Amino acid sequence: MQEYSSQAAYDRGEAVCVIGAGASGLIAVKNLRENGFEVDCYERDTVLGGLWNPQNQHSPLYPNTHLVTSRSQTEIPDFPMPDDWPDYPSAAQMLEYLTAYAKHFGLSEHIWYGSEISHLEPVEGSRFEVVVKPAAGAAARRLRYGAVIIATGHHWSPNLPSYPGLDDFRGTVLHSSQLKDPSRLRGKHVLVIGGGNSGVDIACEAAVNAASCVHSVRRGSWHLPKYLGGEPADYALARLASRPKYLRRFLTDRILKGPKRLAERMGIEAPGPGPAGEEPVRNGRYLEHVGDGSIKRRGEVARFDGYEVAFADGTEIRPDLVVLATGYQPKIACVAPELLGGTRDEPAPRLFARMFSPKAQTLAVAGLVEPGVGVLPIVHWQTHAISRWLQVRKSDPERAESFKLQVNAESHHDAVEHVDPRRRLVVDAEEYLASLGRIIDTLEQEPAK
Amino acid sequence: MSLTAWSRRARTPEPVPVRREIAVFEPADLFDIEIKDNPETNPVLCCTGDPAGAAAFNALWLKRIATSGRYAAAVSVRGQGGTPAAAGGPEARAHDVVQAAVTVPRQTVLIGHREGAAWAALAAGRYPAAGLVLVSPLRVPKQLPKPVGEPPVLLVVSESETQSKEVQAVSDEYGITPLTFAGAPDDVFKGATAEGLLDTVLSWLDAQKP
Repeated sequence: MQEYSSQAAYDRGEAVCVIGAGASGLIAVKNLRENGFEVDCYERDTVLGGLWNPQNQHSPLYPNTHLVTSRSQTEIPDFPMPDDWPDYPSAAQMLEYLTAYAKHFGLSEHIWYGSEISHLEPVEGSRFEVVVKPAAGAAARRLRYGAVIIATGHHWSPNLPSYPGLDDFRGTVLHSSQLKDPSRLRGKHVLVIGGGNSGVDIACEAAVNAASCVHSVRRGSWHLPKYLGGEPADYALARLASRPKYLRRFLTDRILKGPKRLAERMGIEAPGPGPAGEEPVRNGRYLEHVGDGSIKRRGEVARFDGYEVAFADGTEIRPDLVVLATGYQPKIACVAPELLGGTRDEPAPRLFARMFSPKAQTLAVAGLVEPGVGVLPIVHWQTHAISRWLQVRKSDPERAESFKLQVNAESHHDAVEHVDPRRRLVVDAEEYLASLGRIIDTLEQEPAK
Repeated sequence: MSLTAWSRRARTPEPVPVRREIAVFEPADLFDIEIKDNPETNPVLCCTGDPAGAAAFNALWLKRIATSGRYAAAVSVRGQGGTPAAAGGPEARAHDVVQAAVTVPRQTVLIGHREGAAWAALAAGRYPAAGLVLVSPLRVPKQLPKPVGEPPVLLVVSESETQSKEVQAVSDEYGITPLTFAGAPDDVFKGATAEGLLDTVLSWLDAQKP
């Protein structure tokens, strides 16, 4: 195929290449455009909206997916969702919202669908050459850009656990992303494996649709209902975060006391010091289903054996359908791990301030965090900072220098790596937003006289 | 909008939602003239301090703006025209303007008249307006937010207001010189005053895009 493409790369000058047209990619395109950049956005699928679009062939949506964070904490800061929408919009509303965002800011004309970036590498100092592989037909093209923002997200590569005998299991095994149709649960004896948000949501679907539902979880987790004290839970907790520290602890403990006692009653141990220590599971119905017996909780699965599944505690069940709600592995395939601060053996990215490549000034990643709050606002401020940085880098060397110092300082406390790979993307929202705020201030504020 | 302003707002209760009255006039609605909605131009969203709300713009403004090829809309904020009253001060009314702005198909210009100018200015601190036009602003808060996305700003005042402190403060805030129109600041919806004012605003809008 190579011989059909011209050997010389097409130079797009100072234009910026955005990879992915999901929520993060769209926000990146809009903020770059607002700051005066030419943008080409490449989407490997034929639709926008990324994980929120069920037409996307890799979509991780499962039946009845809703936001786990509330509307006011999840909407893009400068493009609010309609205020007559529910507190926790559905996946369909989320797609409607992102489509409206793209239409409102005229983003579609900058998106190239069915185009996957197969490779990118630095050339001529700070510029990048990308190889665009169209989904069908035509040969790969090579283009050069002034900068690249990777916004491919981290919900694409299913994390599939291995159990003894799983391959020979006689029932059906699905990853949560393959369970598109809720009727597959109807009348079945279902085993859901995984105690994260998707596992808990699917267990609730199975509780009302399936003949029986067993939920296997390896460890305890924080269970937050979707409402606390008459308000959406994340909003209620975020409001407490603006109180003085000594009060915050007291008020947080008080507001979480009820849900905590309920979880204990259902035999769920909460790990760590508080919800800040571990990403909480946000579902108000789950504990009630456990309470009325329609979800039976079990420990870790030990092995699969023909039609049977054996648990670590020695008990056995015969499920018709096993749903692996075991999450996803973050994976960025288009770029050498070294460019993002990883190594061949340990490819997980180590980024400055969770977004800037430590190796190339003009390479950044948007949305590669798990903040435990709505990600869209965080991506908005990330891409705002990245756009400003790309501007300042050229026009204001002095400020660029203080920016570099600032970003280095902000990345310092990330040096203590989370050992658990499951938690590698976890950040404390409060701290991370404050850090983003300081970076943006460095880029924008008038220097002190 | 700064990150601090956003996180403060995300932690304050949202204003009570109301069913807002929005009047829309598209170029396609002009049966008598051949004018098409030009996607190169930005739509326009108007609001006014006049209790009639969106209806005030029905007499002349919307049709006139649509004639220039722009999608024209006007919103009644809480308590005006067909929009039910609900609790909330200028911030809640700015919320109404932002909520109306995001329903407009493309990035919109905000035009505010009298108190409406204050709400539009506040709204422009939360939504990246394509332009901000303040007509005879009244009761503008002392601290105005920096408009998001650095849109062009126009201040138009009646000849009698040019020396007023309020107008001075607003023009200093944005670093712009006001343009003037002949007529009374409260009576801008029909007649010669409206014609003159709209000419000024529309030609300024057209000059913003190459």
